[in-house]
Amino acid sequence: MNSDFLSLIRESEALNSDVFSLIRLLLLSSIASVGKDGVTYRELKAALGVSDGALFTNLSVLEKMGYVSSEEISLEGKKLKSYRITQEGLLAWERIRNWLKKFVECGGEKQ
Amino acid sequence: MSLNKVIACLKGIGLKPKVDDFQNRLVIQKAIYLLKLKGIDPGFDYNLYVRGPYSPDLTKEVYDHKSAVEELKTSTRLSNAEAGMVGEFKELFSDFKPSILEVAATYAFFAFERKQDPITALQNVKRMKSFYSGAQIAVGVSKAKEFLFKPSEKQLADMKEEARAWQDASLKSMQG
Repeated sequence: MNSDFLSLIRESEALNSDVFSLIRLLLLSSIASVGKDGVTYRELKAALGVSDGALFTNLSVLEKMGYVSSEEISLEGKKLKSYRITQEGLLAWERIRNWLKKFVECGGEKQ
Repeated sequence: MSLNKVIACLKGIGLKPKVDDFQNRLVIQKAIYLLKLKGIDPGFDYNLYVRGPYSPDLTKEVYDHKSAVEELKTSTRLSNAEAGMVGEFKELFSDFKPSILEVAATYAFFAFERKQDPITALQNVKRMKSFYSGAQIAVGVSKAKEFLFKPSEKQLADMKEEARAWQDASLKSMQG
């Protein structure tokens, strides 16, 4: 077992494992990518191709974690719900991304 | 990257943006992207995000220089050719409708930047912008084509040939 692997395990302890589901990672990534601009509920639903139930539930979880915040915005006279990454969410996302990169690099040689 | 050029474009198209307004920021993003594909490049990289083509750097610059953007302060003058492109944009997208600009920019990304065939590009737009009506998608796609389509030599020759055939037929019907 090499030291990289040990550091990988050690660093994993600092991660929030509640974020490690495909939909939550995709949501965090999508919302973080547009920064201050935020992204509307309908854009997330269309781009990720997920059901309302799954989207609403997972956005609520991320909001409760303090990783995203929501607000009502107006677009062409329509009221829409928009989500933005918080500072805490951005830090968590950066930590996860860096860890995932290490995780992939630490995958070992092909057998 | 030149925010000055972006502001010169906004001035040219007659947009007086409020940076804190979501709709205005969306219009800036899409307008600058379409103008970039047309040939005015202020140097901001765009990629495909959840909102379609989008430049995080442009958003950052717009926020960082909010007052310059809102007051349309710029030291850049557009060349005659650039002013012509801005004029075309203004004529075609005069009402700055975000839905039409979003569809047009997303179609332009797939069809003109990724060089996808028109059917695949349209399918991708319909998937990403499924919350817009068929009519909004049709108008956006048609405006993108009108703004960006550059016919090849062969297409130009074919169009001339087709036009000539119609003209001949119409002359004959007038004579006969």
